[in-house]
Amino acid sequence: MIDLVELTKLYRQGDIDVTALDRVSLHIDEGEFLALMGPSGSGKSTLLHIMAGIDRPTSGQCLFRGVDVAQLSETALAEWRSRHIGFIFQTFNLIPVMTAAENVELPLLLTRLRASERRERVEFALELVGLKDRLKHLPRQLSGGQEQRVAIARAIVTDPELVVADEPTGNLDAHSAHEVMGLLATLNQTHGKTIVMVTHDPRAAQYGTRQLHLEKGELQHDTAQASPAEAEA
Amino acid sequence: MTLAGFMARNALRNKRRSFLTIASVALSLFLLCTLRTGLREMTNPASMEESACRVAVRHKVSIANVLPAKQRDLIKRVAGVASVMPLTWYGGVYIDEKHFFSRFAVDPAEAFRQFGEMKISPEHRDAFIKKKTGCVVGIKTMERFHFKMGDRIELAGDVWPCDVALEIVGTYRGGIDETILFFNHKYLDEASGNRGVVGCWWVLADRVDSVPRIIAEINRMFRNSDAEVLAESERAFQMGFVSMLGNVTLLIGSISGVILFTMFLVTASTMAMAIRERFREIAILKAFGFRSSDLAGLIVAESLLLAMAGGVLGCGGAWLMFRLVPIDTMTNGFFPIFEVTPGIMAQGMGIAMALGFFSCLVPAWNALRLSVVDGLKILD
Repeated sequence: MIDLVELTKLYRQGDIDVTALDRVSLHIDEGEFLALMGPSGSGKSTLLHIMAGIDRPTSGQCLFRGVDVAQLSETALAEWRSRHIGFIFQTFNLIPVMTAAENVELPLLLTRLRASERRERVEFALELVGLKDRLKHLPRQLSGGQEQRVAIARAIVTDPELVVADEPTGNLDAHSAHEVMGLLATLNQTHGKTIVMVTHDPRAAQYGTRQLHLEKGELQHDTAQASPAEAEA
Repeated sequence: MTLAGFMARNALRNKRRSFLTIASVALSLFLLCTLRTGLREMTNPASMEESACRVAVRHKVSIANVLPAKQRDLIKRVAGVASVMPLTWYGGVYIDEKHFFSRFAVDPAEAFRQFGEMKISPEHRDAFIKKKTGCVVGIKTMERFHFKMGDRIELAGDVWPCDVALEIVGTYRGGIDETILFFNHKYLDEASGNRGVVGCWWVLADRVDSVPRIIAEINRMFRNSDAEVLAESERAFQMGFVSMLGNVTLLIGSISGVILFTMFLVTASTMAMAIRERFREIAILKAFGFRSSDLAGLIVAESLLLAMAGGVLGCGGAWLMFRLVPIDTMTNGFFPIFEVTPGIMAQGMGIAMALGFFSCLVPAWNALRLSVVDGLKILD
């Protein structure tokens, strides 16, 4: 599904070039749940951003089903993201003046779906994350865990092939983090979503089917592992 | 939810700020419409179709110089002249200066023939002709001072060295100004010692086409006489008064410019704040696939919505207020109509639209340039 070929990303800080990614090559299969780990500044978020098409590499290729995403124009890239990518952020980033349902509906405004079709999809996505009874709630009326579940519903409402999550449990207590990770695992195992997640939390990383460790922009370990469900089986 | 709904929700996200922005735009446009209306009234006085056939004849040196009464017969002989009458500003004081309204001495037999737009009943007109001390008072002045038919009005002379005691024998409606008091010029002549002078001549042409020729003929007729005249259309005569106001256009234009600039600063600052605090949301929307142009469009639409809401309130408020408030009475007839015209309203709304557009250009440009990654960093 995704092939990263000799991916390099340099940042310029004053007169100095900082290497965020150093010739990273990687293949991700459809249906994988990849946990990207590493210390701060290791380049994991940069890698996630490039895979999600919100940043461009300095050199190398980022192929999504054979298409080099980095070569797309800004407009084509925006359309590509709307079709293929779902985003989950650490701080949820729900729009405070909009209800849960409206927040989930936001990415659908870019589609040609009728209002009734959009409503159906929103209700389905919120049902999937267990919040169908919170349709009309504003973000401030929800707990942190519920907010992140709404954000997950928003990420999957367009039925993207790839869901990228940047520290999805970073702002949650242990119980909510466990719920959210369980949900992501379900999306991966039951609904076949390919997920790439950046995390500092080894417990969260355990939910992935594969762990990748980055350090100073270089790939260190690439470990396939049984998902919790498989491990239990 | 629609994109328009999303935009409207964003515009009203911070209700207090939105209210204050709309209110400041509304107040500024209200002021602007008021100034424009005042300027229009002063520099472009309203006129009736009937005025196109009327010619004003005054002393060439100044309107304060009087003309000899003997000129009337000569003017009457000019081909195309249907009527000539004296029209003399009496002024005077009724009770005190605060009780001001216009007072003119005229020829009762000709006055309402010349000012056909001022409607008077035949009985009142006849009474005006018959009674030398009679006067006709516009309906608005009748109402303002609760005058009744037969009431006596005593005026103390200020411009003219004589007092007059008048009896109301009629009233009129219609025309641009419904506040004027007309009385018999013969009474003024007698009261002032039969000096044989008038303020101006008012001439009615038989048709509009004759007016230029009549003006030329009258001007030629009294050239090099001891009372050289300036004949001009009634409209030109009115505009002559406007020029006496000095460069009021520049003054009002400057004030309008300051208002506009202040309005621009307020709106631009509001939009800059509103967008800056939503940079991370803009980055997230971009991540979802919203194009930069979509987001810039939403920002422009949001700014236009706020400015246009202020425009509707300000221009509409001015239109409504000046329809309900009797400005002519409040200004003692200085602004007889004070109408916020559709043209002024359109100007106001155009300004609101331009304001909404230009005030958000910088924030929209910043949003357009914002990279998703940079926007997301604002979170951390």
